[in-house]
Amino acid sequence: MIDFVQNTIDGVMIGASYGLLALGFTLIFGVMRRLNLSYGPSIMIGAYLGTLIYVQFSAGPVAVVVMTVLGAVLAGIYVERLCFAPMAASAGIASMVSSFAIWMQLEQAAILILPRHTYPFPPLATGAPLELGPFLLRIDHLMMLACALLLSAGVQYVIYRSRFGLALRAIIGNPVAAHLVGIDVKTSVMLAFAGASAVGGIAGYLVLAIDQQVTPMFGMWATMKGLIAMMIGGLGSIPGAILGGLVLGVVEAHSLWHFGPQVRDLVAYLLLFACLVLRPSGILGDAPAAETSIGRRSA
Amino acid sequence: MDDYLIGVLSNVGVISFIALSAYLLLLIGEISFGQQAFFAIGAYAAGIATALWGWPLAAGLAWGAAVAGAAAVLVGVPTLRLHGLYFAIATLAFAEMVRLLCELFRYQITIDGEPTGPNGADGFRNIRYIFENDIGPLQFLVLIYALLAAALLGFMLMERSRLGVAFRMIGEDVALAGLQGIAVARFKVLAAGLAGALAGIGGGLYAHLTTYVEPRIFDVMLGVHSLAYGLIGGLGTALGPLLGVLIDIGLLESIRSLAGYRMIIFGGVVAFLLIVRPRGLLDETVVHYVRRTWYQIGRGRGN
Amino acid sequence: MACLPGSMQAADIRAKADVACQPTAGTLTYVCTIRLTDSRTNEPLTGIDLSVGADMPSMPMMHNVRPVKATPGREKGTYQAHIELEMAGEWALQLNLSGKLRDRLVQVLRFEDGEIAREISPAAPRPARQKH
Repeated sequence: MIDFVQNTIDGVMIGASYGLLALGFTLIFGVMRRLNLSYGPSIMIGAYLGTLIYVQFSAGPVAVVVMTVLGAVLAGIYVERLCFAPMAASAGIASMVSSFAIWMQLEQAAILILPRHTYPFPPLATGAPLELGPFLLRIDHLMMLACALLLSAGVQYVIYRSRFGLALRAIIGNPVAAHLVGIDVKTSVMLAFAGASAVGGIAGYLVLAIDQQVTPMFGMWATMKGLIAMMIGGLGSIPGAILGGLVLGVVEAHSLWHFGPQVRDLVAYLLLFACLVLRPSGILGDAPAAETSIGRRSA
Repeated sequence: MDDYLIGVLSNVGVISFIALSAYLLLLIGEISFGQQAFFAIGAYAAGIATALWGWPLAAGLAWGAAVAGAAAVLVGVPTLRLHGLYFAIATLAFAEMVRLLCELFRYQITIDGEPTGPNGADGFRNIRYIFENDIGPLQFLVLIYALLAAALLGFMLMERSRLGVAFRMIGEDVALAGLQGIAVARFKVLAAGLAGALAGIGGGLYAHLTTYVEPRIFDVMLGVHSLAYGLIGGLGTALGPLLGVLIDIGLLESIRSLAGYRMIIFGGVVAFLLIVRPRGLLDETVVHYVRRTWYQIGRGRGN
Repeated sequence: MACLPGSMQAADIRAKADVACQPTAGTLTYVCTIRLTDSRTNEPLTGIDLSVGADMPSMPMMHNVRPVKATPGREKGTYQAHIELEMAGEWALQLNLSGKLRDRLVQVLRFEDGEIAREISPAAPRPARQKH
């Protein structure tokens, strides 16, 4: 029973990082209605730049955070300019494949920045874990959970309460009409993309600070975990993204405890597969969102 | 031909099968991130058949294609009810499950005093058919391209038949195709099965070409690549995905001297290409134009 | 393909390889020393045409090394090949044997810049992305 609760706690904490990754993903998908496979690799560029200043100039944690987020945002804007902005609304697949080509580019760029396979990443908090009766709570885990909740509330507020969010929702509803009422569609979309990349950058920083190491595999890992959590939680839903991340984290923690890492991943994909087949709209999503998304000529 | 060129051309040929497999699903308007699963199933099934059961290569390849096709039909029934991103991610989830199951899959028999067969994450080594039967690289290359030519012929016949028309109609507009009396669900599952079998043949050839397979080969990278080939080469004809593979492997091989900057250039070229031609080099417009010109020339000669 | 003389008996011999790669002055360039032995008798295998290629198991088409010819080393049954990699990480080295004996052996090695690379078993635990 103690193990069960402890696993659940660990799962929730790790799930928070999945939720954060899914949050950035959902933001991009919600606005663009297209899949950005370069999402994780953009975050990795930020992480590598952060690692670079840490390794080369032994920069402090604040500088590493700023560098990671800034790098992710710049890489994100690069992806948006190259893969999304120039493509017609009907060319969703082309955008996706293009973002995959840029993934290759970003991965190589990261290797050019830092050629070794593994690098150390500065830890977030090194103190002893809090003890709650028989249970242990890591401080960096708690910080991650807090960040996930705060950021998702912040994003929710911006989308549903601010003028910028209103503009974005207008663009999601009908880009042409949004343009006609005087919304600068291109800039708004780019800003949304930059914001999503910033959320991703924060998520990436937290994950790596807990892991304390970074490898070129991180880009793919971030894209996959973000994607799974987003799909489980429900496309286009902000609370869904966080909830999906938490569910994924808890399921993974329990299967890891009982069966080891290979089965853990297997169970994660089984959960995703079952979710899609049985309830495609996810826990909190709206079904039509993706139905029309990357289909052939769904103008 | 030197061994290096034969090796590159063999790779182009084998990868073309999985590119054609993803292309067939694009025809019915579905994006699959998961064709590498059937490539993997074909590779393991064919490898087991020849290396462990002592089957001849032809039977092994046919068995690989059959198992992969059957698996594709089984997965297609629940997933093809989904559409768009949902289908794409469901295929991805399935393919990753297959890869992880391959990492757990152990089935070894002692042959010649050495354990042979799939050994979990270590992969499946010693698929020695080409060595034991003295099949040279050039002979294997001929075999690959003969099978590829047969597959292309199949595509050409299909495009001219009612089946091809039905596939393209479903891809264009599912509801309209349904209203025209096309049994949409049945045709989709059929397309998925054929696509699975194609990928299975490719996998079987791959296993015997490289003589070893590892579960990691069949990860998402391979799936997204195979999808990208059709988009790069063009969605108008089955030659499109082949052109895509040729561009990918050919371009990567020819800019080898750039070493560390290879992927940066390659990614940039592909991204630029997709901006200029979002449905690939040989898209429907080009194919239509070529076909019309061809018929006009033919008519001119006839008069 | 014409049957090579002696291929009948060659079919019975199975080769075994030990590989270690020593870093050289350049970035991610290595000299790999390969010791080929008969897997039954443990006798060194000499006079074999050996070429060495490599690819990354997770992306064999994207990251690979054009096969290079190995030259016989000083010791009996050893061969040396110079390889240049594109990135650090795990690489599957393919040892293509031809001439007296046709075979292909595969070994997975983990390369890190400036360090000796040795064979690893992919099944062994590794510092992977799945640690998260």
